[in-house]
Order: sequence, then structure tokens, then C-alpha cells
Amino acid sequence: MDSVQALITQIQGLSSSAGDVSRLHSNLKQAEETIFSESARLFSALDQLDPSIHSLGYLYILEACSSGPLTKERAAALVLPISRFINACAVEQIRLAPEKFISVCKRFKDQVMLLEAPMRGVAPLLTAIRKLQTSSEHLTPLHPEFLLLCLLAKCYKTGLSVLHDDISEVDQPRDLFLYCYYGGMICIGQKRFSKALELLHNVVTAPMSTMNAIAVEAYKKYILVSLIHHGQFSTSLPKYTSSVAQRNLKNFCQPYIELANSYGTGKITELQTYVQTNKEKFESDNNLGLVEQVLASMYKRNIQRLTQTYLTLSLEDIANTVQLSSAKEAEMHVLQMIQDGEIYATINQKDGMVRFLEDPEQYKTCEMIEHIDSAIQRIMALSNKLTGMDEQISCDPLYLGKVGRERQKLEYEDYDGVPQKFNI
Amino acid sequence: MASSSSSGLTFKLHPLVIVNISDHYTRVKSQMHPPLTATNGSDGVDNTSSSPSSSSSSPSRSPPPRVYGCVIGIQRGRTVEIFNSFELLYDPSTHSLDRAFLEKKQELYKKVFPHFYILGWYSTGSDAQESDMHIHKALMDINESPVYVLLNPSINHAQKDLPVTIFESELHVIDGIPQLIFVRASYTIETVEAERISVDHVAHLKPSDGGSAATQLAAHLTGTHSAIKMLNSRIRVLHHYLLSMQKGDIPCENSLLRQVSSLLRRLPAIESGKFQDDFLMEYNDTLLITYLAMFTNCSSSMNELVDKFNTAYDRHSRRGGRTAFF
Repeated sequence: MDSVQALITQIQGLSSSAGDVSRLHSNLKQAEETIFSESARLFSALDQLDPSIHSLGYLYILEACSSGPLTKERAAALVLPISRFINACAVEQIRLAPEKFISVCKRFKDQVMLLEAPMRGVAPLLTAIRKLQTSSEHLTPLHPEFLLLCLLAKCYKTGLSVLHDDISEVDQPRDLFLYCYYGGMICIGQKRFSKALELLHNVVTAPMSTMNAIAVEAYKKYILVSLIHHGQFSTSLPKYTSSVAQRNLKNFCQPYIELANSYGTGKITELQTYVQTNKEKFESDNNLGLVEQVLASMYKRNIQRLTQTYLTLSLEDIANTVQLSSAKEAEMHVLQMIQDGEIYATINQKDGMVRFLEDPEQYKTCEMIEHIDSAIQRIMALSNKLTGMDEQISCDPLYLGKVGRERQKLEYEDYDGVPQKFNI
Repeated sequence: MASSSSSGLTFKLHPLVIVNISDHYTRVKSQMHPPLTATNGSDGVDNTSSSPSSSSSSPSRSPPPRVYGCVIGIQRGRTVEIFNSFELLYDPSTHSLDRAFLEKKQELYKKVFPHFYILGWYSTGSDAQESDMHIHKALMDINESPVYVLLNPSINHAQKDLPVTIFESELHVIDGIPQLIFVRASYTIETVEAERISVDHVAHLKPSDGGSAATQLAAHLTGTHSAIKMLNSRIRVLHHYLLSMQKGDIPCENSLLRQVSSLLRRLPAIESGKFQDDFLMEYNDTLLITYLAMFTNCSSSMNELVDKFNTAYDRHSRRGGRTAFF
């Protein structure tokens, strides 16, 4: 009882100023074993502490309590104090011991999942991320946990709010992979296919030294989303992909690549038979829903192709070319596409003719000016960041070493001193 | 340590010396930097990742290295002109520069430039230190009054002039003991045609933080921008004045009002819808071209970055550049 009480009074006493807090931090680090052994009694003494003022001490005690085997009763007992703590804790104190904070939050996520109530974890984890991040461009290990909970709880919109931030600092590569993969799935759920494509592309092209299961799954979804969004897929990956990925990804995703090939032929029936034959494979990857969307997008692709050939077309003809069952269905499809902004057309109801129009955007308005202006500002910021990174990597001894070795093989004309802007 | 020198010597410094010293310093500094993979995990990450936020210590901030070398040139009468420099190794055990190497180099330079003498030595740092006097005295047997050229490698954007100082040694009586101390000397920069080309080249390398307008186009646009800003502020003043006249805070001054109204009548009269359309369309076109230019610039720097990254970190990358010709 003595050591517990002593610890509690120490925490209460040393939590006021920054100097005190750092002393408290070192004391707590030394007292870790006592905290672990007395975790049960410390837990009951927690109500003597205020999480917003004594955050560091509270954190240590919580971490000790939440370690150890997880059972339903323990989970139920711990979930509420942890979520209250996350909402109330002080940011500077937390940042002194980020690993403990991260492990408490990860345990919290495990408890919430064990109790089968992922919704309870979404809001606390969002606050936890905002408190742990040093800047909005910082990816913490909590990001993928948060996105996983959003996926399980089906709160896609909250997940989207986190996905808007650009990332430029990552603690662990695995966090990036998981974050982009879950983020891609959330965007697919919200039908934001371009953002999903971007995120999945990041997983596939991220540097990796060995094959990564996350990248393989992401590649499968990437193929499907690219078919839905762009209507085409090319197997060549950009040159910033790691060589490991370039060589091996295709071997793991053979059925999907063949799906993309048969999509490319433009014949619905072929695609349908292919999907039918390989149904179990798609199902085992949990991708069947996406594959059905791919099928649906085939009609859209074909109608879009018609806009390039015809100026006006009757609904009957559309139905026949695209192999839809009736003119009514064709009308529904065209209407949906006009609403989504995928084609520009007008439907004349009297004689069932569809007239395809040009893009009405004239680029004459002030809103367009603001739009382009903000795009230019973003690119300028990006360009500055890129130049900074370029300078940094030019001084990197690893890079300099390799370039130095390669230099001897180059010919005389290569020493022209002009930076090679367009490498062929 | 430094009042200004009273020896009456005029110093002329060539840019070649400055570039040499700076190059020497940069090379040594980038070679001693701890490699990035030591602080990362096993995979390189494409986003630069420094050590995790607060817990572990920052990557080693050892004090910046000091580099040493010799400066050579011609001394004619009261003018000392420093033409060139070469590097020397510093032996920290004896606190002196490598003498044998210095003599060998001196011999070699004599063969090519018979008129050049060793005028002194250089080093880097923010200010002259006590230990430097030791090296200075050691050189005194080659040259009775050597010069000490000091380059300050820390970048200070607020500073307008060069971070190079030239020190001479003078015998001053301090506390009754005659001592050699360093005094600053003023210098001018002297250029040869060949040096002007390289200085021009260096001046056009844009720093990554934007810096000042180095190109003609940027200077022109900056001029236009400041002119427009001034026009804007003046119109604002007039507007404010007229508003307060309207409110009645200031007595109405008719002559001023007449001037304002004649100014307004001289403004362009076109206000039609077609003008707006065409104007906005042309404005948009210009913006789009700027956007395209920025895009191309950004893509090309991205391309370079990716190439460098692949060379540095990807084990079996295909060298996306020129391969050896036979």
C-alpha cells in the first residue's frame, strides 16, 4: 500500500511544470517494475488522479493495467477509463512517452474488437491521433488502427476526414502500407474511386525489400478499381516501384490480370463467363463485390465509347450495341451517367433519341480562375518540398557512394555538367 | 580579437579561393555525415523519416568539421593578391599542419606559377580562435607576416556580404607582455575573366527555399509586383479619404474632388459582357500555361529524385539513364 500511495502522491506533486514533469518521467521509468506488479491496486487508486493534469502518471498506470492477457471482463472494465483518458489527456505530457501511448491505444483497439463494438473506439482513436501527431503530415502507428476500426464499424466518413491529409513523415513502413490499404478500402466503400486508386497505387509502389502480403492484396484491388475508374489497366508499373514488386506482383495476381485482359476486349458476355468460372477465387479474396462493380462499369465504358462515334443515337440502338436488355434500361444507364457527370448528353423523350454534347466548360468564369490558382499554389508547395528532398538525397553518402562507382563507366560526353532533366 | 589592421596592406581576394575553401568544407562535411540507414529500419522509406518524434535523441550533431589549407598568391609592394589555395591535413596531436606535404606542394606550384608565394593559410569557423595562433606562428618561417583567411560556413540569410574574413597578426603589448594577436583586415574581390564565368554559374543555382530573384524574369516580375502593390495602396488611401468625406468627418475639398472625378473619367470605358468573357478567357489561358510550366518543372525534379532514390536504395534497379557505350 505504501509504494502505491507514494507513487500516487509523487504523480500528483510533480505534474505542474515542464521541469517537474521531466523529473516525474525519469522517476516513473525507474519505478516501472513496481507499477507493473502493483497494477491492480494502482488501477483502483486511479480516481485520485485527474487525467488532464496528471496525464503522464495516468498513462504509465494504464499501460501497466492493460498489458497482460485480454479477457472480456477486463476489456469491459478498461474501455471506459481509457477512452475518457484519451479525451482528457494533455498533449505535451503524452508526447514524452509516445510508445506507451501507442501501446495503450492499440490495447484499447483490441479490447473494443473483443467486445465486438468497434464503434466505441472510433471517436477516441481519432482524438488520440490528433494528439499524437506532431504535424498534420505525420503518420503515426495509430492511423491504420483507426482506419481498421472505421472499416469494421462502417463509419466511412470519419475515416475519410483523416485521409484528406497529405503524408510526408512516416515512423514505420508497415504503418504506411496498412494505412494506404485500409484507406483505399474506405474510399472504395464511399465510391471515391480516384482517391482509392491513388492510395492503392501508393501501397503497390512503396519501397519494399521483400514481397509484402499487403501489397499483393492491394494490387488485386488496384487492378479492379483501375478497371472501374479508368476502364483500362496496364501491367507496367512506374519506375519508382521497387524492383521486387515489379518482378513478383504479377505472379500472385494472375486471375485478376486475365480479368483485365478480357475486360479489354469489350465483350460483356466473355467477361461474365470469366467471372462465373473464377467466382470462388474472387470470393476467397473478398473481392466479389468489386468484381460485380467491374461488370457494371463495362456498360458505362461501352456507352462512353459510343459518344466518340455518334452525335445522336436512339435508345434502342444504344441497348443493342451495349448488349443491354431493353431501351428502358439503356435510358436508366444514360440518365445515371449524366447525373454522375460521366457524359454530357440530352435525352429527347418524345422520339427516344440521345444527343451527345461537348463538355460545356468554357473556362471563362472566375471560379475556374480560383480553381487553377489554388492548383498552382499547391504545385508550388510540392515543388519546394521536392527540391528540398532532392538536395537532401544528393548529399546522402549512400547515394554518393553508388554514383561514384558508376561514374567511371560513363563516357566523356556525359561530363557536361548540365543536369540530365530528361533521362530516356 | 580584432580591431582593424593598421599595417596599410591592401588585400585582394580571388573568388577561386572562396570556392575552393567552400568546396573543401562541403566535401569533408558530407563524407563524415552518419549514413541515413543507420537510423532507419531495414527498408528505406520513400518519405524521409527522421528519428521518432520525441523519445530518442536527435541524429548526432557533432560540431562542424574544420578544414585547413594554404593560400598562395603574389605580394607586390603594399598589395597582397591571393590567387589560389590548396588543402592541407591538420595533425591534431601536434596542432600543426602537415609540413612535408606543404613543401612538396609548394615546389610543384613553383614549377607552374613561378611568381606565386605562400601567403598564408585558411580555415573554417565562425571566429578566429586561440589555437589558430599556433599554426600561424608555424607558418611565419615561410612568410614573415602570413594572412589567415577564415570562412564562416553557417548560412545566414540576413547577412548581405561574404562570410570571409582576412586576419593579419600584429604585435600588441597586453598586460605588459608583447603578444601576437589577430586583427581584421579589409579586402576587395578581384576577378579574372575565367573566374567571372564560374561565379556567374554559381550565382544562378537557385537555393531550395526560394531566395532572392536571381533571374531577369523574376526581377522584372518583382518590379511589376511592387509597382502594382504601390498603386493598390494609393487607391486605398484615396478611397478611404473619399469615404470619410462622404461621412462628413473631413470638410469637402472641391478641388480634390474635381481631380478624382477627372481621373475616373480617364479609366477604360469598356464594361460590356463580351469584354469580360474575352478577358477572363485570356486570363485563364495564361494561368493554364503557368500551371503547365510548373507541372513540367515539378515532374522533372520528381524524375530526378526518383532516379537518385533508385540508385541509392534499390539493389537491382535498372539504371534509368545512360549505360556504358563501347
